[in-house]
Amino acid sequence: MSQQDPRKIVVCRCENVTLSQILEAIDEGFDNLELLKRRLRVGMGPCQGTTCLLMIARILMQKTGKSFEEVFLPSNRPPIHPVKLKNFAGGGRES
Amino acid sequence: MKAEVVVIGAGVIGVLTTAALLEKGISNIVVVEKNYPGSGGSFRCATGIRASFTSREHVEVMKRAIELWPILSSKYGIKYSRDGYLWVLTREQDVEFFKKVVEFQNSRGVPTRVIGPSEVQELVPTMRTEKIIAAVHDPLAGKADCFEAVLNPLRDLRKQGVSILSRTQANKLIVEDNTVKGVHTDKGVINADQVLVAAGGESRKLLKTIGIDLPIRDLPKHVMVTETFKPFIKPLIIDWSTSSYILQLLHGNFYIGADIPEQYDVEASNKIEFLRKAARVWTDYFPWLKEVYILRYWTGFYDMTPDHHPIIGPIKEVEGLYVAAGFSGHGFMMAPAVAEALAEYITGGKPVVKEFENLNYERFVRGDVIKEIAVFG
Repeated sequence: MSQQDPRKIVVCRCENVTLSQILEAIDEGFDNLELLKRRLRVGMGPCQGTTCLLMIARILMQKTGKSFEEVFLPSNRPPIHPVKLKNFAGGGRES
Repeated sequence: MKAEVVVIGAGVIGVLTTAALLEKGISNIVVVEKNYPGSGGSFRCATGIRASFTSREHVEVMKRAIELWPILSSKYGIKYSRDGYLWVLTREQDVEFFKKVVEFQNSRGVPTRVIGPSEVQELVPTMRTEKIIAAVHDPLAGKADCFEAVLNPLRDLRKQGVSILSRTQANKLIVEDNTVKGVHTDKGVINADQVLVAAGGESRKLLKTIGIDLPIRDLPKHVMVTETFKPFIKPLIIDWSTSSYILQLLHGNFYIGADIPEQYDVEASNKIEFLRKAARVWTDYFPWLKEVYILRYWTGFYDMTPDHHPIIGPIKEVEGLYVAAGFSGHGFMMAPAVAEALAEYITGGKPVVKEFENLNYERFVRGDVIKEIAVFG
């Protein structure tokens, strides 16, 4: 990893979570993506982890020695892409 | 491996009970979790907290929980607020029903009130109130952060030397001469004199391994969350006639639930029907909600018992065995009081809130189910 200050490296842009917060959480025992997600909210923003989760998986692999298959993927839910409520509010037999 | 107490399930019940046991001086505790802490109902739930129920047992237990939530919030840094609940009524017959409910609740010290549409408007300025005839406001109710409620105490447990065995499945309870001897897990046997089964939906399967059939059936439930906004809607709002609800979580997302026809004990699957119903109901009350993005839709279960009340306490037929399951959708809000009561039972005492004793497993054996003035929530 680079010489930059991990407190200044933002990994999860949606929820503004830095590298140092992630490293600290892993040290506290939150050593998998599911736990990191609930502890730090990484992957809970509008991009639903498409930006940050792979990077965090790599951080986890480097820090814990786990394989990619062991760390990836946390449970995935619809929609794949954010959808406005109005798309479900109309249509069907009743409106 | 030997422990003083084995807690099966690292959800909010298992974790808070372990914390309560530590406070009582029990030290050698092992927590067994089949997946990761909170992965069951605890991290899926709506996080609402209220004492406005329709049975003495629910009211008293929840009142105690509401006393404990601020203490836990302060001790572990768990976000908690008392922003209230609002039942919105759009049919005349519901108003009469709720007047009786409010009377019962007031008689037991829960400060609910029937209010009119203009007061609803004051409480929720961005809501369309044309269809609202009346509403019931519960100012004592609130919400908490479910992740912090499990993970913050968990961090503390780890520091105090509790063994948290994640990804470890408890398969079978070991009982000899009507006494608990330990638990068989997929990673080996753990011997213990006391075992607490707080394993949510798995509790029934575990108790079956020693011939006890907990009367719990799983009912699929559906919820979605939206993108976040600065907090501007305080109460959890229930639209009674459609069995739907919305709340703004402490982080700012809107969390929306709605009942759609479901069967017990089936695998929960995502259904467009849920999205249509939830979106229709709430964009009707909040037209601006039409432009809001849904980020995620998931399912979970209410572990339902025949009387919609949990099964909590010692299993009389087996020395050292305790259960906390079948919360029927209200486990999270009750957790602090349940943890307190279980710690009292496990250390040879009795719960301070005596209504807990009515929530024993034996009531089903006797055919003595809890009575509510009406089935509610």
